[in-house]
Amino acid sequence: MSPDAVNARREALRAIEFKGRMMLVSILRLHTAEAAELDVALGARMAEAPELMRDMPVVVDLEALGPVAFPDLLVAIEHVRRHGFKLIGIHQGEVASDPLAEASGLPLLVLSGKAAAEAPPPRAKPAEAAPPEPPQAAVSVPAVHTPTRVVTQPVRSGQQIYARGGDLIVTGAVSAGAEVLADGHIHVYGTLRGRALAGVRGLVSAHIYCRRLDAELVSIGGHYRIAEDILDRERGENRLVTLSGETIDITEI
Amino acid sequence: MARIVVITSGKGGVGKTTTSAAIATGLAMQGRKTAVVDFDVGLRNLDLIMGCERRVVYDFVNVINGDANLRQALIKDKRTDNLFILPASQTRDKEALTTEGVERVLGELAKEFEFVICDSPAGIERGALMASYFADEAIVVTNPEVSSVRDSDRMLGILASKTKKAEQGGGAIPATLLLTRYSPARVDKGEMLSIEDVQDILSIDLLGVIPESQAVLNASNSGIPVVLDEDSDAGQAYLDAVARFLGEERPYRFTTLEKKGFFGRLFGG
Repeated sequence: MSPDAVNARREALRAIEFKGRMMLVSILRLHTAEAAELDVALGARMAEAPELMRDMPVVVDLEALGPVAFPDLLVAIEHVRRHGFKLIGIHQGEVASDPLAEASGLPLLVLSGKAAAEAPPPRAKPAEAAPPEPPQAAVSVPAVHTPTRVVTQPVRSGQQIYARGGDLIVTGAVSAGAEVLADGHIHVYGTLRGRALAGVRGLVSAHIYCRRLDAELVSIGGHYRIAEDILDRERGENRLVTLSGETIDITEI
Repeated sequence: MARIVVITSGKGGVGKTTTSAAIATGLAMQGRKTAVVDFDVGLRNLDLIMGCERRVVYDFVNVINGDANLRQALIKDKRTDNLFILPASQTRDKEALTTEGVERVLGELAKEFEFVICDSPAGIERGALMASYFADEAIVVTNPEVSSVRDSDRMLGILASKTKKAEQGGGAIPATLLLTRYSPARVDKGEMLSIEDVQDILSIDLLGVIPESQAVLNASNSGIPVVLDEDSDAGQAYLDAVARFLGEERPYRFTTLEKKGFFGRLFGG
């Protein structure tokens, strides 16, 4: 190939770019393919945290199922989809089944590393994504700009508020027993007495700001500290919670 | 149109029924025609506090099921004019409170009365949800201790989302705080949350502060609402709350520690 041809080809390819990136993906492991049982469990999980789970990208892990007829697998996958999860792939362990991938329209993923046996979101364990070979356009790429969610009512015990894809601002207090979550930063302009989880889909640079910190739990990018681990001197007015490495830092602003 | 008011708390034993009886009686004493409805199906108590337990023939569930009409079930209070009690059923459970049935009965009451006071059961299950579902406003009864405050906070969240008004997009119903069993002496010793502490957590307006008082226990035991004991601190505090509820401004009483005089200190009060 002439140098010109090489340049022309490089020019033409500039429209796209392949990147290999680690990504936080929730693995949904099925322990049964029985549609009725799945419906009950999926429904219950979805009801626990509908805002968090709806449209959540998941890889369906079929490895624990044992021998199940092909059509039943398809039905099981369809049930997961119907409950509002966004499927981005199938994992089947050693016995990869190309026909299943074809029939379901989902790529087969090879998972390295161990997914935890029970990793309920919001604190899903990171699993390494497959090499970027199969097209994975469906994986949630952050939108250009998601408007910040602003909550002007106090967040009461038992309530859960999730700012999907962006930041969360709470102008009042977050009560003990309440939970606020965001894919981005969290600002609380009252007292934070409940749980605050920023960067729940893996943004480790997310911060939590609060006018007064007296939290039950703070978490960033899946790392967390419970009330017992938050020192008295770390509690108080105008606090900033950040993650450095694997440590949650609480400092005065 | 009547104002339907739910007396609620989440936690049990904080004084919902005492408050329902006192507020309803207080409103009736002001000449306002008032009905008080016991939603605690299966654990009926309001009739005891109101001292009408021996006159119960039909109850709320009978009216819902059409076994009796409202007029037959309502008990006219003997002491206070303008006051009627709709007792709960003791032999049924909360499942008997159907949404349609409750709506129909409250609708009928609303036509006849100026105020309908709904005495909610504890918890956040069907009975409590039904008591608040059709309410126009709520009085949240709270003791100055952390578990009660947290349960009230939970209940406020439910009031913001699980009433008919909220479900129709009308937002949270207005709610005010009634702090009961308040003891300034124990607040002083740090054994009890202060009014400010509770308000800081719940951030709603204060309707009243009822002092911890022997008068409340006496009233319950004798089946006479505490507001009728007008000399008692608790009775006066409830009357203040009723006045505020009707829009009057009243200073808060019994909220600070009275300084003991020389002899008080000498003899330990």
